[in-house]
Amino acid sequence: MSGELPGDPLREENPSSLSGVQGNAAPTREMERRFSPAAAYAMGAAALLLVVAWSFTGVFQGSGLLDGGLGQRLARGVTVARQFWPPDDTVRAQLQVSMIETVQMAVVGTLLGALFAAPLSFFAARTTSLSRVLSSIIKTVMNITRATPVIVYAIILTAIVGLGKATGAIALAVGTFVMLTKLYAEALESISSGPVEAVRAAGGNTIQTFIFGMLPQVFPNYVATTLYAFELNLQASFILGFVGAGGIGYDLQNYLREFAFTRVSMVLLIIIVVVNVVDFVSYRIRRAIS
Amino acid sequence: MTDTAISIRSLSHAYRPGTPVLESLNLSVRNGEMVALIGLSGAGKSTLLRCVNGLITPVNGDVRVLGKDVIGLSEQDRIRLRRRIGMIFQEFNLVDRLSALKNVLIGRLGYTPTIPSCLHLFKQADVLLAQDCLRRVGLGAYSHRRVRDLSGGQKQRVAIARCMAQQAEIILADEATANLDVLTKEEIMDIIRALCKESGVTVLLSMHDLLLARAYCDRVVGLKNGRITFDASPDQLDDRAVADILYRVPVA
Repeated sequence: MSGELPGDPLREENPSSLSGVQGNAAPTREMERRFSPAAAYAMGAAALLLVVAWSFTGVFQGSGLLDGGLGQRLARGVTVARQFWPPDDTVRAQLQVSMIETVQMAVVGTLLGALFAAPLSFFAARTTSLSRVLSSIIKTVMNITRATPVIVYAIILTAIVGLGKATGAIALAVGTFVMLTKLYAEALESISSGPVEAVRAAGGNTIQTFIFGMLPQVFPNYVATTLYAFELNLQASFILGFVGAGGIGYDLQNYLREFAFTRVSMVLLIIIVVVNVVDFVSYRIRRAIS
Repeated sequence: MTDTAISIRSLSHAYRPGTPVLESLNLSVRNGEMVALIGLSGAGKSTLLRCVNGLITPVNGDVRVLGKDVIGLSEQDRIRLRRRIGMIFQEFNLVDRLSALKNVLIGRLGYTPTIPSCLHLFKQADVLLAQDCLRRVGLGAYSHRRVRDLSGGQKQRVAIARCMAQQAEIILADEATANLDVLTKEEIMDIIRALCKESGVTVLLSMHDLLLARAYCDRVVGLKNGRITFDASPDQLDDRAVADILYRVPVA
């Protein structure tokens, strides 16, 4: 297979491949069938049940959830919940300014991340990379980095850039870059090779082949994943305020520390409105370009 | 210039060492000739076509197309040669999200500088040419329709219009009618035949439909296991020759 283009329409041309596959398939299947299908399902279901039971006991054992005085404790919960009402209108104007900062942070973070991810994804995708080894290396690095929460980047960047919105935006950009490199690469790998070959056959050069053969195929996917990244970044930026990265998350953190619950609920109100507006707009954009 | 459009000598190719797809194949096609390559799938037809326009560089052999040595050309010159060779496919291979007109304009990419083409900007003359090509295949009213909304026959006509826009001297057709119904197959073959006979385009088609090959082509070439087993006019294609091309001999 080495040296052959992935998705090569000519693979079937090889007369020996057919007999080769059939020859190998039979013994492999025999080896997999050590258990009857029914037994395999039963074992799978039992294992799943075990994991579920283990998780529930792990979480609730000793939590006191089912101890006595449940009614009293519920009443206490209601008392706390009532402290969130009514949302404090006096901080609304100030919070709207913070929210605008948060949105700006998410926009800058998403676009910067996408800007760097787009070219790298080209080398991360098996189908377009210079070599399979390079593609594997990039993907492995991205997979390892992806497990790092954005807040860790923010803490490190605070030491470099200092506290503030810029730090937040750059931290979001790093997280977005890692995520979108992988998602863009997957989109590139899933396109059909036919139109790409046709553009090449018509005399298109490498760049033209990308612009006409590939880009139209991945464009809807690129837009959808970028919008998805933006929505994630908006939510992440609420948390980033906790490490001093500015925006509405910073206010949220302050109010929580002061037990100013009516102000916290004002923050929540604004977040709910913005998240839903973004969700709606993103849906309309995705539908328009599918 | 000679009157030979395609001249192939002792062409061999293998995707994996030890499993040859083409073996010491010789074939030459005259200017303005319409030749069918007949054979089962796996016979090497698609590979042969792609050696002609340099999409595949064969392991061995000599391929001369329109007077150029395809294998010896630099990548730049190979792209330049490909502009003069149109290609159509079984799966149409159009860019579904783009309009019919944009797809035809892809045939002008070779004559458009890279930067403008990235912005989808084409010369006015090229746009007029592309629109004219769509008219000639009967799709004048469809130029701004997205290709994904067209029928199979219409898609293949867009692909032919793309070859016309290239002002191709050779058209390579890889099972171009295999995905179409009986009537549409004939429509497409009529258009290709007309291009060949009226504009002098050389046509090399891979196909497995013998009736269609007989009805439309000047010459039928049978391909089996990477070798040519038959090369003559359609009326010489008797039952024995057909059996020889189309039936697999059980391997001992």
